[in-house]
Amino acid sequence: MLADWTQQEVLTGTTIMAVEYNGGVVIGADSRTSSGTYVTNRTQDKLTPLTEYIYCCRSGSAADTQAIADHVRYYLDFSRISQGREPTVRYAAHVMQSILYNNRDNLSAAVIVAGWDEVNGGQVYCIPLGGLLVRQPMAAGGSGSTYIWGHLDAQFKPGMTDTECQEFVAKSVSLAIKRDGSSGGVCRLAVINRSGVQRRIIMHEDLPKSYDG
Amino acid sequence: MSFIPFELKQELVAKDTMEHARGGFSPYSMNGGTLLGIAGNDYCLVASDTRLCEADYYMIYSRRHPHIWQMTPSVLVGGVGFQGDCLTFMKMMQTKVKLYQYEFGRSPDTSAIAQMISIALYNRRFFPYYVYNMVAGLDAEGRGALYTYDPVGNVERALYRAEGNASAILQPFLDNQIGRKNQGDVAGPGDLALPKEDAVKLAHDIFISAAERDICCGDGVVIQVVTAAGVENYNYQLRKD
Amino acid sequence: MAMLEEPSCPGFVFDNVLRNQHLLAKCGGGSQADAAASSTSALPRAKKTGTTIVGCVFNGGVVLGADTRATEGNIVADKDCSKIHYISDRIYCCGAGTAADTEMVTRQISAQICLHRLSTGRLPRVITAKQLLKDYLFRYQGYIGAALVIGGVDYQGPHLYSVAPHGSVDCAPYITMGSGSLAAMAVFESRFKPDLDQGQAVQLVRDAILAGIFNDLGSGSNVDVCIIRQDGVEYLRPYLRANEKGQRAAVYRGGKPAVLRTDRRPVLADIISTRIIRDSGAAQAAGETPMET
Repeated sequence: MLADWTQQEVLTGTTIMAVEYNGGVVIGADSRTSSGTYVTNRTQDKLTPLTEYIYCCRSGSAADTQAIADHVRYYLDFSRISQGREPTVRYAAHVMQSILYNNRDNLSAAVIVAGWDEVNGGQVYCIPLGGLLVRQPMAAGGSGSTYIWGHLDAQFKPGMTDTECQEFVAKSVSLAIKRDGSSGGVCRLAVINRSGVQRRIIMHEDLPKSYDG
Repeated sequence: MSFIPFELKQELVAKDTMEHARGGFSPYSMNGGTLLGIAGNDYCLVASDTRLCEADYYMIYSRRHPHIWQMTPSVLVGGVGFQGDCLTFMKMMQTKVKLYQYEFGRSPDTSAIAQMISIALYNRRFFPYYVYNMVAGLDAEGRGALYTYDPVGNVERALYRAEGNASAILQPFLDNQIGRKNQGDVAGPGDLALPKEDAVKLAHDIFISAAERDICCGDGVVIQVVTAAGVENYNYQLRKD
Repeated sequence: MAMLEEPSCPGFVFDNVLRNQHLLAKCGGGSQADAAASSTSALPRAKKTGTTIVGCVFNGGVVLGADTRATEGNIVADKDCSKIHYISDRIYCCGAGTAADTEMVTRQISAQICLHRLSTGRLPRVITAKQLLKDYLFRYQGYIGAALVIGGVDYQGPHLYSVAPHGSVDCAPYITMGSGSLAAMAVFESRFKPDLDQGQAVQLVRDAILAGIFNDLGSGSNVDVCIIRQDGVEYLRPYLRANEKGQRAAVYRGGKPAVLRTDRRPVLADIISTRIIRDSGAAQAAGETPMET
């Protein structure tokens, strides 16, 4: 009876991506959360820490992905204490994947798990809707990613430097923000490597320029 | 803990999806508005609030939109329901009144307009104008004549009537105060007609109360009284929330 | 045969949901809109607080605001209901959505927070309340229709969160929820600045709620405000009476229904026992002798 958006689930119509570079990973996301046509949050942080060195980029239902991230974070904290060392990115991705796969009928969540560990360095794991797990040198997700695949394929180079990689992610997310109605706001970036996490925000007016016609 | 069984959730989701697929489109919406009519011995009163809204979306479109149209110098027609249909219907009726004037050289009287509206509504029996109408004027003897309609053209001459959004709130009060229903200690029906001044006061007061409890009713009330001398207008403010 | 005792489990009972849907379908209430249109076939609808609730952070704490209208369909069910709920001494929570859900959910979490405070001996944190509410709402997958704005002050300073019915959380310096949230958000988006003082924040919250009250049909009546600071809470109810009832011009007689027939019958009862409580003062005042049987 009410307007749609009051009844609808809060969804992160999103652009998220993660790219490996030599020494770590760069992850990026837009900041729009909407419910129907209403933007419920224009400064959402979709880059959610799982450990000090592992992040996940969330897309899909905000409630589902937040709950899963809480769960995985608890699991990994527990693992660090019992094992006495930082959990690997691969392990974190597997924990995430098993939750997503086992509850695939009840969840609408697609995430990218990315981070750095001593064993394999920077890694990106992509877990799309059904609970598939695959390691990729570069991953993108959310509604906005469909607009930028061509750009990603054309511009991605394995073994980029830190700066090159940040530029690449910032540019890609900005392109998606401009074309996708459900992505918007600022571009959030994070660089994860041996020394931990460095976070950056690119305000909307400072987004890399592109054709505006 | 008692969780929602999975089958149930599936069923709920499936139901929602089906309804969506069937096409939730409806050509109608309800744009609020409440009408009140009181017929007296030498006058006929019609009143409406001035809010135009979309209740399903909790939205106000206008705060100064009376739901009353003038058909002839001495006949008023109130219409509430779907605003699109109200406008079209009233425009059509006004055109018909004009044609009548050209043909017969005088304005149609109240009963003629009452009959015309009934026929026009019934003509659309299976795709009705979603309008609740009320005709206020004077009859051949100079007494107040109030006609009320449902959207498919059923017509009744009444002494007092409420229509539209808050009608369920107003009508019992009118029954009690004008119809003297459930006032066992008052002497028999006799002449129920109110003096004009009392009717205007009652119309104002009743809209104050309706604005308290009906979310679609508010902003202002317009009371128009048809008498032999012409149409009197009264405007009052109501709460704006 | 031994009697099987029905296990009593905590939480909600969903036994009748399928039956109710079946009945609804059978009564011809195909869609919700149809069901609402023909009141005879519709199942009872829960009281919703078509609402405007907001929260805003300022340099010394948090201000929460709410309107005071509760609706049932198009009818105002309560003209002065309270939508700012107590969680703990420095944490309050505004609720929008199904009135029963917001009331019960906040009471439940308030109790949990109180027990947690007693067992840990520490002042409750806002994030704890937020996490409990979020977990609870997520578990019920949106079927508990509570949209909340949680605000409070703890040892880390002021905090403000919103929780949507499905269990998603947002954290921001200003938040609006409920059917009037668009109107209220328009006020915040145009006038919010970082580092407001208390007076400015209260003014902003007041105007945001007023925007909801006047432009959203589901919100109305008064403005309630709750100011939470480290050194205390000011719960102002009402903060502002935004709407006064019109003055009636006439007085109306109520009357009463006619008595058609009277029939008096004695009530037959066996007196099992009587006990007279001695109250000498009252008995003497009434001029009676105290008795005992």
